[in-house]
Amino acid sequence: MRISKEVFGVKGSKKLGLTVQLRRAAAIAQKDLRIYYNKPPVIVQGIIFPVILFFTFTIGRKIPTPLLISGLMAMVIFLTATSIGPFVFPWETMRKTFERLITCPVSVKTILFGSMLSSFLFGVIFSLVPLVLGIIFFSLQITINFLIILIAMFLAAFVFSSFSLILSAPPTDMPGNIMIFTLLLKFTILFLSPLFMPIRDHPLAWISPLTYFVDIVNVSLGLESAFGHYGILIDFAILSFFGVFFLFLAFMLHKKTLQKRFRN
Amino acid sequence: MNAIVVRNLTKYFTPSKKEKKKGRARNPSLESRKQGNNSIIRAVDHIDFEVKNGEIFGFLGPNGAGKTTTIRMLTGILKPTNGEILIFGQNFWNNPIKAKQIMGHVPEEANVYMDLTGLENLSFIGELYGISKKERISRAEQLLKKFELFEKRHLKSKKYSKGMKQRLLLCMALMSNPKILFLDEPTSGLDVQSSIIIKKLIKDYNKNGMTIFMTTHDMDVANEMCDRIAIINRGKLIGLDTPENLKKLKQEYQAVDFYFTKEAKESELENLSSVKEVRKIRDYYHIIVHDLNDGICEIIEYIKSKNLKVKKINTYEPHLEEVFLKMVNGGDDY
Repeated sequence: MRISKEVFGVKGSKKLGLTVQLRRAAAIAQKDLRIYYNKPPVIVQGIIFPVILFFTFTIGRKIPTPLLISGLMAMVIFLTATSIGPFVFPWETMRKTFERLITCPVSVKTILFGSMLSSFLFGVIFSLVPLVLGIIFFSLQITINFLIILIAMFLAAFVFSSFSLILSAPPTDMPGNIMIFTLLLKFTILFLSPLFMPIRDHPLAWISPLTYFVDIVNVSLGLESAFGHYGILIDFAILSFFGVFFLFLAFMLHKKTLQKRFRN
Repeated sequence: MNAIVVRNLTKYFTPSKKEKKKGRARNPSLESRKQGNNSIIRAVDHIDFEVKNGEIFGFLGPNGAGKTTTIRMLTGILKPTNGEILIFGQNFWNNPIKAKQIMGHVPEEANVYMDLTGLENLSFIGELYGISKKERISRAEQLLKKFELFEKRHLKSKKYSKGMKQRLLLCMALMSNPKILFLDEPTSGLDVQSSIIIKKLIKDYNKNGMTIFMTTHDMDVANEMCDRIAIINRGKLIGLDTPENLKKLKQEYQAVDFYFTKEAKESELENLSSVKEVRKIRDYYHIIVHDLNDGICEIIEYIKSKNLKVKKINTYEPHLEEVFLKMVNGGDDY
């Protein structure tokens, strides 16, 4: 026992506690942001798609300013927060850097949390752009509740970065394959979401988690909630549920598929 | 105390649906190890061994023998199907994070982050081991100097040569100053200069007490560097001993080659009591003896008595490669 203490350190288990793992997750997130922010699939899905889709949805249509801002923010936060995660895992499996991470003193949850954190930050940073543009160009036409918008942004980034972990669970080492699969899924969700239109006009809107973020932003920009008087509370509750559910599902799936990544 | 104890370690793979459909495993050498009709592939099959603290332990085997699967289980990449791994007496899987904290791993394939510089790679790994920023930078710079990469520390590692990447991998594995270092084919495909640097530094670290577990195809590296060698074939351990003992184990006879300045009489040599057989091969005599020491002494006496002069003497011993091939092809069980 004495030798073990000498080898592993007396405070071994304390030192490897939650705070330490959180710090290590932050290091992984920083690495992901530094390496992957400029990779073509991330730029295409995280920046180019939102711009193209924005013009596709809005050109030639007369859309009220709050719906324009909420739609764009929702689309940007969704696409950017889900752009890094599904790319990182197959890429790192292919480059064998995922193996390197596994051999380091970090748990799988730490790695997943680190990846989620990078997606989260990517989503938050980029969704600030339409908000800032909205404030600059439309500040005279709308009233804005910044606090609610910011909380909603953080919550939505959490939900969609958890969702991105689900997308990254298939144990492939070919980023191209997973990007096609994620695109199909993401477009389906986008079309199920009431972007740039009143929520009540979309019959299937309740399915998509984006709906609840759009509703919060709409309320913060002076519109009425689509879900009644306590609509905003319902939005926060449902978004939180989606976030926890996605995170739980992602951890389960990764636990199941992790060993399959190392078959080669 | 043993640094590593492996008991009954086993890894079975079940082929994926795709592999089943194609009717073959991803690694063709594993195909022949399927168990009957249930398609389970026995990559590592109930192996036991110990690695002593402070030794260089070599793990040899042909392609697909189970070397990499074993090292992957020891480093926590793959979870064993069965068996136990003790690291300094503590069960690895009871607290893998704690065990990994004292380990360093250099894989066969260079898995550095290509988009990060050498220094950034080291700093990132240092962060994952919980080393403070100041200490990280200082250790990284020391290692980069030691491995002759300091000048290129701000260059993205995708611009490094294969040898430089391998050296960087070693630096990354050494960042945490591990107690056990796992090396998967550390000198494979390297230029002579990188290979020499790496071998020298591995020896230096070992002298300072670091336990080294290495797999290699290079018999000269194994012979030169390892204190003990384990040989694995088709997932089973077929030999474990010091290189010298392994060679003795397979030594069929003891012999000495004598080069004389003039002809000696084969019949006279054969009459010596310690000599079993004499073969004249080109310009030398291959003399098989009962005992090497007695044989040489008696032959030298004979040389003196006959006024012969010796140009060169070679004692014959099997090369590790021969031992390896014999064990692997002969199917001897350990």
